[in-house]
Amino acid sequence: MASGSIIEIKGLSKTYGSGSKQTAALSNLNLSVNQGEIFGYLGPNGAGKTTTIRLLLDLIRPSQGDAKIFGMDVRAESVEIHRRIGFFPAELSLWEGRTGDQIIHYVASVRGDTRGIVKHAGELAERLDLDTTKRVRDLSSGNKRKLGLVIAMMHSPELLILDEPTGGLDPLVQQTFHTMMDEYRDKGKTVFLSSHILSEVQAICDRVGILRDGELKAVESVEKITNVEFNWVDVNFRDAVPAGLQQKLENMPTITDVSANGARVRMRMIGDFDPLLRAISDGYVESLHIEEPTLEEIFLAYYSGDKETS
Amino acid sequence: MSGIVIGNTLRTSWKQILYWGLGLGALGLYIDFIASSPDIISGYAELFKTMPPAMLKAFGASDVALFTTSEGWIVSIFVSEAAIFLSVFAVMAGLNITANDEQSGVMDVILSLPISRAAYILERWIGYALIGLAIILLTAAITVGGMVGMNIEAPSDVVFASILNLYPSVLLVMTVTSLLATVMRRRVVAIGLSAAFVIVSYLFNAIGAAAGGAAADLMERLSYFSYVHGEAFVLGTYDPANTVLVLLAVAIGFGLSLRMFVSRDIGI
Repeated sequence: MASGSIIEIKGLSKTYGSGSKQTAALSNLNLSVNQGEIFGYLGPNGAGKTTTIRLLLDLIRPSQGDAKIFGMDVRAESVEIHRRIGFFPAELSLWEGRTGDQIIHYVASVRGDTRGIVKHAGELAERLDLDTTKRVRDLSSGNKRKLGLVIAMMHSPELLILDEPTGGLDPLVQQTFHTMMDEYRDKGKTVFLSSHILSEVQAICDRVGILRDGELKAVESVEKITNVEFNWVDVNFRDAVPAGLQQKLENMPTITDVSANGARVRMRMIGDFDPLLRAISDGYVESLHIEEPTLEEIFLAYYSGDKETS
Repeated sequence: MSGIVIGNTLRTSWKQILYWGLGLGALGLYIDFIASSPDIISGYAELFKTMPPAMLKAFGASDVALFTTSEGWIVSIFVSEAAIFLSVFAVMAGLNITANDEQSGVMDVILSLPISRAAYILERWIGYALIGLAIILLTAAITVGGMVGMNIEAPSDVVFASILNLYPSVLLVMTVTSLLATVMRRRVVAIGLSAAFVIVSYLFNAIGAAAGGAAADLMERLSYFSYVHGEAFVLGTYDPANTVLVLLAVAIGFGLSLRMFVSRDIGI
């Protein structure tokens, strides 16, 4: 195990099916996550994020390779590992007919320290504004996810493994969640967080691994991976797009993908705004809209020629 | 093994014990009521005399004389019917051991806790085995209590033992269902195959008992229903080896189920 590594994955692969129907969900994954960091595991749906997490939790078995958490093999010593981790599944499912309190007590008793864990669960529920006296079936999807977070965090685990944790949470609760993650990091604890929400990863993660089609494409700092300096710019003129403007914009080295439609022109722009502002000054600009790239566009930019320009 | 999962299973399933026990107990009281009337019993006995032996077997008796006594009536009719109802319970219990939680996704949360797969499936199995036992004991208590209350002259211990003899078959069906669920992974397939196991067992027992010859004998021996006949307790021909045989099948089935659950992917 590398010094300070909490998660150490070597050559991990997972294939489903057999023969001609065999599909690779994860291919030769090598990754280490250090103690005290919040590691973002980014990728589009179907990239292999959940497969990785299920392998780490020993819910599924690898086709090749191995993984260690706290220096222990995830298969051979899964019970001891699970004692020290908290897990939030992407598709959270809980006992529908039971109340939050009943589930918290049950999980706490399996963890072996009912009193301390239940007390902390109460504090977390209060911070997340969750009523634990209600049955799960009576909770909204957002509140179910809050309960899932409480269950994952109530025993103050050394490592949190969170699979798409904030989907369905309102912005205020997301903010509370981000604060909680910061507190975790401050205590020297580690978080492995899978997400496809770029802003969330930017807000809380230290490093990011990008997964695509079952392969880890890069592991970088958040700053580096998200510093793809292009924006989509929409310019709306009061009248029609000035004559010759489209050609003018297409000739500019920092602008690509120009399209004009009526009084509107849309383009992809890299770098400073000044050349663009000068170019459009011939017309009366009614509004100007700047749109940040989507995660998918950042992926594409990162792995295509745009990588050098970013 | 901490016993926490067993405790939780019992805590969340006490209503099942109550409803199944009271339901089967009500059936027992109804049979008691008929048995309390000599006129009704003799009427049925006359009716059974006109039936072919195969149909008589379907009512759980090999000899029509059995129906002329109260205990013979209760044991033959009630145990045969209770065996079918308890098979339904056993299939449901077998699905509850792992399949339902796996299908719903709750298993992901459970197995992320510090409990091994082997310990979990074992505790769930024990939990549902205890629930099955509690249902049978409640059923037997109500049925025997009804006999006493209705002043039926019949040996309580014989009736009690014949109802308790249903328990190994409940364990068998529950374990077979659990095994099918761990092998097939899909709940609906496990339900279908378990239902087929119960129905085929019932038919094997009925056909095997009615027909003669080695093949028919084999069919009867292959059916778990042939091991729960209550008449053996009335006639004094109960053979403990039959119970041991069923329990051996339960042990083998559970061993396979555990092995499969521990070694395979969860929730795929």
